[in-house]
Amino acid sequence: MTISTAVVVPHPPLLLRELGGIADPVADLRAACSAALSAALATAPDGVVVVGPAEPGFDEGAPVDVRRFGTTSARTGPGLPQALGVGRRLLDEAGWTGPAALRALPPDAADADLAGLADELAARPGREVLLLMAEGSARRLDKGPGMLDERAFGFDDAVLRALREGDATALTALDVDLARELMVEGRGSFRLLARLGHPARTEVSHADDPYGVLYAVATWTY
Amino acid sequence: MLKLGRGEFDDTALLVMAIVNRTRDSFYDNGATWEEERALDRVRQVVAEGADLVDIGGVKAGPGEVVDAAEEIRRTAPFVAKVRAEFPDLVVSVDTWRADVAEEVVAAGADVLNDAWGGHDPRLAEVAAATGTAIVCTHTNGAVPRTPPHRPSYDDVVASAIHDTVALAERALSLGVDRRSILIDPAHDFDKNTWHSLELTRRLDEMAATGWPVLVSLSNKDFVGETLDRPVGERVVGTLAATAVSAWHGAQVYRVHEVAETRQVLDMVASIKGDRPPARVVRGLA
Repeated sequence: MTISTAVVVPHPPLLLRELGGIADPVADLRAACSAALSAALATAPDGVVVVGPAEPGFDEGAPVDVRRFGTTSARTGPGLPQALGVGRRLLDEAGWTGPAALRALPPDAADADLAGLADELAARPGREVLLLMAEGSARRLDKGPGMLDERAFGFDDAVLRALREGDATALTALDVDLARELMVEGRGSFRLLARLGHPARTEVSHADDPYGVLYAVATWTY
Repeated sequence: MLKLGRGEFDDTALLVMAIVNRTRDSFYDNGATWEEERALDRVRQVVAEGADLVDIGGVKAGPGEVVDAAEEIRRTAPFVAKVRAEFPDLVVSVDTWRADVAEEVVAAGADVLNDAWGGHDPRLAEVAAATGTAIVCTHTNGAVPRTPPHRPSYDDVVASAIHDTVALAERALSLGVDRRSILIDPAHDFDKNTWHSLELTRRLDEMAATGWPVLVSLSNKDFVGETLDRPVGERVVGTLAATAVSAWHGAQVYRVHEVAETRQVLDMVASIKGDRPPARVVRGLA
């Protein structure tokens, strides 16, 4: 086990600050992400691995493509997958200049692929921080991205409870089909986290759904 | 960079200049701010609504009550001093064509001389140069102050406006006015009929292309009224449409009656142009 700390953050495009306009619509979330990541990086890890919902086959050195979503910045051409781009940006904003590996984890990855990625994380040399891009249901609000589905609240409550209690077993048991219906983009990430074992300490420092998506920031220390 | 006395503004900033009349007979407000306290209230209101500067005038632009220089000074200079005292950082412009008036209002704290009658008194630019004040160079086609147009005609009204305002700007520069403190104004409706003012609006980008910052004074004017067949009290929508087109074409300063509405239009156009981020964006990005 070479992951010393896992920091779980959501990955809305709004975390790319310039997309929100003059006022920051996710200021609280941004502050929570920054605080959790900074605390993890303060332990002086040997490297960071960013894992998020994406399809493999991208260039790890690609830029963060903000222009695809908006602003008046220059077009960058092919960029990182969105969730990983947010992770990359958070690392940059935290001042991390050390090694950073980016790994795609399709939300509906097969168990064998999940096991492969977990094995890779365990085999990596050194002591690393995992920045895990994951969010709960996007169906928590009438006007939200996926329209309201009342089942989202129970599902997300179970996720939050597992994150708070470090209950990897509960994360393993999440209903993947329901998660897909509830637009839980973090369903693959949570299943990966479950495979990394039980943490020594946990903290959920932020949980809110201002725009219909559950944003949670959690830290698992092993 | 635009330097208006104590105010400095980026080239992409769109500025609202609020009209404050110390007159009994101006066409739009009919003396609403003739009384000093009412005029001060108007200043307080427009500042709260987001005005970047105020333009204080003591003489109706059109024909009307005779106002000599002494009376114009009485109407404007003490008022400028009061505004200056209450709003130390507010950019204050005075709408006057008289150098004698200009000297008094600058001494009272004015930052800008809005020479709305286009160099009728050549000494006005000298006052601006001597006092470090900004100046607006306006196209009036040589009209005598306060005379309405009578059959004005042009080979090319835009070319004429550019020629005359740029000549005034270059003269002001040669006299020593700071390059960043000289604006040009095509002066809609001043010795122009409605067709002329529409064409000036349509081709305002040509004026902006001179590189001199452009001020436009469109607010509730007759060209809006004739175009839409609306009386004075019903021209705000037409004014705002002309404002949007002017902003798209690159005008930088807007002399207006309706501050809050103009501010919204200018912010919207600035965001469409890409010069201003939207206030708060969430939809589709959460």
